[in-house]
Amino acid sequence: MIGRIWAIALNTFREAARIRVLYGIVVLVVGANLLSIVLGEMAHEETRVARDVGLTGMSLFGALTAIFLGVFLLYTEVQRRTIHAIVSKPIERWEFVVGKYLGMALVLTVLVVLFGLAMTLVNAVQGTPVTGNVVQAIVLAWFEVLTVAAIAIFFSSFSTPFMSGIFALAMWVIGRVTPDVEAAARTASPWIKTLTRITLEIVPDLHLFAVSGRSIDGAHVSVHGDFVSWGYVGLAGLHGLGWIIGLLALSALLFHRRDFV
Amino acid sequence: MADLAIDVRDLTKTYRTPFARRKVEALRGVTFQVEKGHIFGFVGPNGAGKTTTIRTLMGLIRPTGGSATILGKQLPSRAARFQVGFLPEAPYFYDYLTVAELCDLAGRLFGIPAAVRKKRADELIERVGLSRARGQALKKYSKGMLQRAGLAQALMNDPELVVLDEPMSGLDPIGRKEVRDLILSLRDQGKTVFFSTHILSDVEAITDRVAIIVKGELREHGTPGELVSRTVLGTDVMIRIAEAADVTALTDAGDRVRRKGDALSLTLPANADIDAWIAKAHAAGGKIVQVTPRHETLEDLFLRKVEDAKASPSPGGDT
Ligand SMILES: Nc1ncnc2c1ncn2[C@@H]1O[C@H](COP(=O)(O)OP(=O)(O)O)[C@@H](O)[C@H]1O
Ligand SMILES: [Mg+2]
Repeated sequence: MIGRIWAIALNTFREAARIRVLYGIVVLVVGANLLSIVLGEMAHEETRVARDVGLTGMSLFGALTAIFLGVFLLYTEVQRRTIHAIVSKPIERWEFVVGKYLGMALVLTVLVVLFGLAMTLVNAVQGTPVTGNVVQAIVLAWFEVLTVAAIAIFFSSFSTPFMSGIFALAMWVIGRVTPDVEAAARTASPWIKTLTRITLEIVPDLHLFAVSGRSIDGAHVSVHGDFVSWGYVGLAGLHGLGWIIGLLALSALLFHRRDFV
Repeated sequence: MADLAIDVRDLTKTYRTPFARRKVEALRGVTFQVEKGHIFGFVGPNGAGKTTTIRTLMGLIRPTGGSATILGKQLPSRAARFQVGFLPEAPYFYDYLTVAELCDLAGRLFGIPAAVRKKRADELIERVGLSRARGQALKKYSKGMLQRAGLAQALMNDPELVVLDEPMSGLDPIGRKEVRDLILSLRDQGKTVFFSTHILSDVEAITDRVAIIVKGELREHGTPGELVSRTVLGTDVMIRIAEAADVTALTDAGDRVRRKGDALSLTLPANADIDAWIAKAHAAGGKIVQVTPRHETLEDLFLRKVEDAKASPSPGGDT
């Protein structure tokens, strides 16, 4: 089982490593990090700007890449029929789905590490060390990206890349703004309130991974000041893992029922 | 029945296109058996349902009705897939891999240890004739070379049953012959080979059994010999007889009459009494040169089956 999943994961990694767009994204994010040095100089807020740009770039482009890979990699296997020679061998379909996911997760992890290194480099140039807060924020962004990848795979297990992309993007945005929506719905009619609740329940709480600048349990949290504890990071990670396992299980179930023609 | 490699019973498959609300009855109750150790040719025109049958057997699609076993195991069966090698129709593989990497990936999915994988891949690449192209990525391969790469990856598990969907398509005459020889050598190793084709010359030469499928229904099933000897179309006769002789009594019964010098040839109908005709020819002073019964070729039979299917009303169909 592990051998088969790993074989698919490695092959997926190789496949993704050939996508030129990914290199473009790396160049873009690293470039933004470097640019933030200049912006910081102008704003006399060097470190703050560099960190904000670095973390935002990581979350934004990490999530977009996750959606991009998630909606295409599984789909093209079916579309190009490369899957025919695979699932006709003694591999379970769920093993294939998990292998695909792990391959993507590997690619995304490499991206997050590269983005993180760019931030560290910029911070080093500015003469400020990387704080524990920043490391925590990076780990949280990593969890978010991995969760978004699972969302994208889930949609792509039953719909086209275009539709999956739209759904995944919507989920990502809603998941991000959940607390704001909740706050806004507090004053709304009971109907709207219920509808909002249901919507928010079925959307992963991605806002848990993007906490800087928010209030958690009444306390203001910022990566530049008082940040979350490692315990929080761990819990958020478990929360993400739950979603990932659940979404992959659903994807595998849907994938299992499909005809490959 | 333990000696069956494939046992298909009343298999049906209806494709539904969700938005167009279109139904295609691709298989309408297909039943056939493939004995172990045989080469089985699955013949039919394009769109007959060959690929649909094969994809069902490989667990890629679910049948709408009916059942099938592979190597004695009810579908879908992961255990059976360990013993099966499969070449998909017009195969497309990860085009960034080399053939050796493709074989290695296949081997991993079969759980074959690394050392064995390497050895087998080398042997198979040699066997399918890709040694010179083994360093190239598959995206540089021609259709025929991909077909060969597909054969190599299908044989990585040293399968008991080999299922090939149009293995000769895209190949030149030499390539076709090589694939035919490969199929024969697989049978010599005691393996069962099930392959589909729409080209009859592939079948006549090498198969032990043939099934003809047209429009989702099996029309014929038997040895190539049985299929073609069922029908005698007529008898070609040739005699030598004096140019001046009156042969109307002899030629009345036949058609395609040709007379050139002292040679007379014609075709007697299938129901003609050949002995009586020969006696008459002798009596008229003729000498028998040749008497050849004319059988339907597999090609004739095939074309007739396709015509029959066209003539018969098709329930459902592509509507
Ligand atoms: N995915 C599909 N959706 C709808 N119809 C299909 C699909 N695949 C095949 N068909 C139809 O099913 C019939 C059988 O096709 P196929 O099994 O590919 O035939 P063959 O392999 O003998 O050429 C054809 O009429 C074909 O158009
Ligand atoms: Mg076909």
